Amino acid sequence: MSAACAHCGLDVPASEQRTHATQQFCCRGCAQVYQLLHDWGFDGYYRLLERQGGRGVPAKVSGRKYAELDDPALLKIHAEPCGHDRLRLRLYLEGVHCAACVWLVEELPRAVDGLASVRLNLATHVAEVEWAPSAISLSRIAHALDTIGYTPHLAQDDRLEAARRHNDRALLIKAGVAFAAAMNIMFIHLALYAGELNDISPEFARFFRLMSLGLSLPVMLFSAQPFFRTAWAGLRQRVPHIDLPVALALLGAFGYSAYATLLGHGPVYFDSLAGLVALLLGARYLQQRAQRLALERTSVLRHVAFAEFARRLDAEGLATEVAVTSLIPGDKVEVRSGELLPGDGIVLHGNSQLDQAVLTGEATPLPVGPGDWVVAGATNLGARLVVQIRAVGPNSRVGGLLRLVDEAMRGRAPMVQFTDRISKAFVWGVLGLATALGVGVLLGSGGDVGLALQQVVALLVVTCPCALGLATPVTFTSALARAARAGIFLKNPESLELTRQVDTLLLDKTGTLTEGKLRLVATQGMPKALDLALALEAESAHPIALAFRRAQRTPLGSVHRLEAIREHPGQGIEGLVDGVHVAVGNEALLRTVGVAPTAAHQGQAEIWSAQGLSPLFIAVAGQVVAQAALGDPLRTDAKAALKALTNAGLTLHIVSGDHPAVVARVARELGLTSDHAHGGMTPEAKRTFVADLKAARTQLPHTGKLMMVGDGVNDAAALALADVGVAMQGGSGASVAAADVVLTRPGLMPLVELWRGSHRVMNVIHRNLAFSLIYNLAGAGLTIAGLVGPILAAALMPLSSLTVILSSVLGRTFQTSAAASRTSGGRSWP
Amino acid sequence: MIFILLPLAVLTAGVFLALFIWAVRTGQFDDLETPPVRILNDDADRPLPTGDVETRETIVVSTRDC
Repeated sequence: MSAACAHCGLDVPASEQRTHATQQFCCRGCAQVYQLLHDWGFDGYYRLLERQGGRGVPAKVSGRKYAELDDPALLKIHAEPCGHDRLRLRLYLEGVHCAACVWLVEELPRAVDGLASVRLNLATHVAEVEWAPSAISLSRIAHALDTIGYTPHLAQDDRLEAARRHNDRALLIKAGVAFAAAMNIMFIHLALYAGELNDISPEFARFFRLMSLGLSLPVMLFSAQPFFRTAWAGLRQRVPHIDLPVALALLGAFGYSAYATLLGHGPVYFDSLAGLVALLLGARYLQQRAQRLALERTSVLRHVAFAEFARRLDAEGLATEVAVTSLIPGDKVEVRSGELLPGDGIVLHGNSQLDQAVLTGEATPLPVGPGDWVVAGATNLGARLVVQIRAVGPNSRVGGLLRLVDEAMRGRAPMVQFTDRISKAFVWGVLGLATALGVGVLLGSGGDVGLALQQVVALLVVTCPCALGLATPVTFTSALARAARAGIFLKNPESLELTRQVDTLLLDKTGTLTEGKLRLVATQGMPKALDLALALEAESAHPIALAFRRAQRTPLGSVHRLEAIREHPGQGIEGLVDGVHVAVGNEALLRTVGVAPTAAHQGQAEIWSAQGLSPLFIAVAGQVVAQAALGDPLRTDAKAALKALTNAGLTLHIVSGDHPAVVARVARELGLTSDHAHGGMTPEAKRTFVADLKAARTQLPHTGKLMMVGDGVNDAAALALADVGVAMQGGSGASVAAADVVLTRPGLMPLVELWRGSHRVMNVIHRNLAFSLIYNLAGAGLTIAGLVGPILAAALMPLSSLTVILSSVLGRTFQTSAAASRTSGGRSWP
Repeated sequence: MIFILLPLAVLTAGVFLALFIWAVRTGQFDDLETPPVRILNDDADRPLPTGDVETRETIVVSTRDC
């Protein structure tokens, strides 16, 4: 029987199904949130969710108190006062996924006294919270958000972001002014063009021209500033920028038109120049905005993956939650099950296992006990640990890794944009042609400067590279939007251009080729014994127990009676199930409970060990009756995805921090030769591997680019250094921040779509360039023949722009496969 | 006539342009994704009156962590 979770709508696993319950829940978090929303009268959330056809996500409730947020020093830095007794602060909310979340979060003040208002930005998942500190503390607000399933994090609003937002607004105003002026000028010019046919009286014509001169002043003096500035900067560096011909066309057209207006005769081009500025600025704004949103979304994630708080123990052993930044070496902290270690240090008490996959790439958990060195960023999977902190922040291992990432990102050469390269040839072509035309007309007409000037201006206006300046940003912006729907999040359009040239792909193993989660991959022996083992493991929060439960198919009623359960850290679990002694664990556990495995069982265990799997024994009533193997299996789509990429001619390498034998086995399974499998790589080794490959390539002509795919902190430096870095869905914050591309759908198929999409995008861009080249050649030909007046220029310009915009928007760049759209209802974000 | 009407029309356009600039400056174009969604959220029906015990179902809390 299958059931859907009443909160998130996902299938409820058999082990969680409860008979006689009106609602089924997939996990404790969902059940808690459902109950709470009910109590607070927020059932509207589920109605909205249903109406909007959205789907929930399993709720994550940490139950923390967030005491560290009440630190006055922290509030002083992050909160700003607004009005009387009010503070305002930005929180990044983990778990926001759809429109109904906006409603729920913004309705929260109804249930929490003292909370004045919450405004949530659905694009960035950042909420602006306003509260009265005299009535409620920030920690209580954070706790309330946490209990309804949104984990709050302080959103560090760095100065760069504020500057980017400011730039966006400034550009939008410039574009708005240009559009307003262009529209009005167009109407006036319509009257002028009509007037030419119907003998307009000269006083009216003069008035209309003066009006459009006045209206184009703000366009030239204010809106067009960016073109003049970059053109000038390019000239000073002796690099012809694509804005140079635009600036020349604008100056020429405006200067000549103003002269003609004051003189009272000759053609005027005010409509063309204003329209040009408006369209180019509009396209630029769209691209800049898309890029800003992408950066904002990922930069906020950067701070999330690491421990933000620590439970510091005082002399009496009482724990208080403090901000991680206030920890100093020597502090004793408590780390509970499921929490991240806040710093590097030494275990004082407790035995547990740590998940270090994001730091080292090792799939199997690391057992730790008193005296062991542990590192910040590792997740405690087992029992409570007390750790004496030795290094925090930048001095910790993870801090060092982040420094590597920063260095790699700073060292990146500024990208030479595609249009910049093309524009070089274009600029010289236009300038040469204009000079030749001017000289030609001068000689041909016997020194008629006015006529020569008129022809040159017409040429500059007609050949203005609006298709170049317009087509590329519009294509990229629409490609970014399509890619986002296909589960591919691009931070900058240049990475599309680079992806197309990729010929070597480096893949991380744990979390990239595999899921990074332990699963039961093989079992052998009595099925009844496996059932007993499942019943026993249901009592434990250990990762091995979770792997058992994931494999469970039949519902687990309260059939079994469990007694005397004991967990042996690093070994396994034993207990009485319905009065029968059952033990599940490794060989060490067998020794502990005094059971001897047979030679056959040991042989099987050795075979599994050689395959990189962790063998488990299941002993019932003093005898080993079954065996199981735990491993981190390949993603289901890994084979198909890698095959598609190999067939496309890419060279694949696996670079992993896991044991070389395990990596070699994975490579064999995927059909890669052993010299393409590199195991035992530290984060530094991964970075060096990328650097060496890159350096070796600069020696060779005609080589492609290097792409790195990963998910862990240990991959981040390599991701930043590679030509294109791709972070997997659910990857660590550091990898997401370091990568150029972030996948937002699980699996490796989005990677294939990224590669294919990059080719399609570049095809659309090439097609647009061909269009604009044809228009420009035709326009130049007509001008040289002396046929282009203001009317033809005014008609040609929007016509060519329209063609390329249509071609860009309609271009099939990224495709959302049917399978991909089924797994996620539109928006999804790591 | 046209000598008055045209400047008047341009002046009207200028008023709207000023409004647009004010809207941009106050950040009303910073987030274009959430406001359209907020409108739909007005549809959320009025909540159930709190304390209405009969309509509240018993909820069985599950033991597994996500």
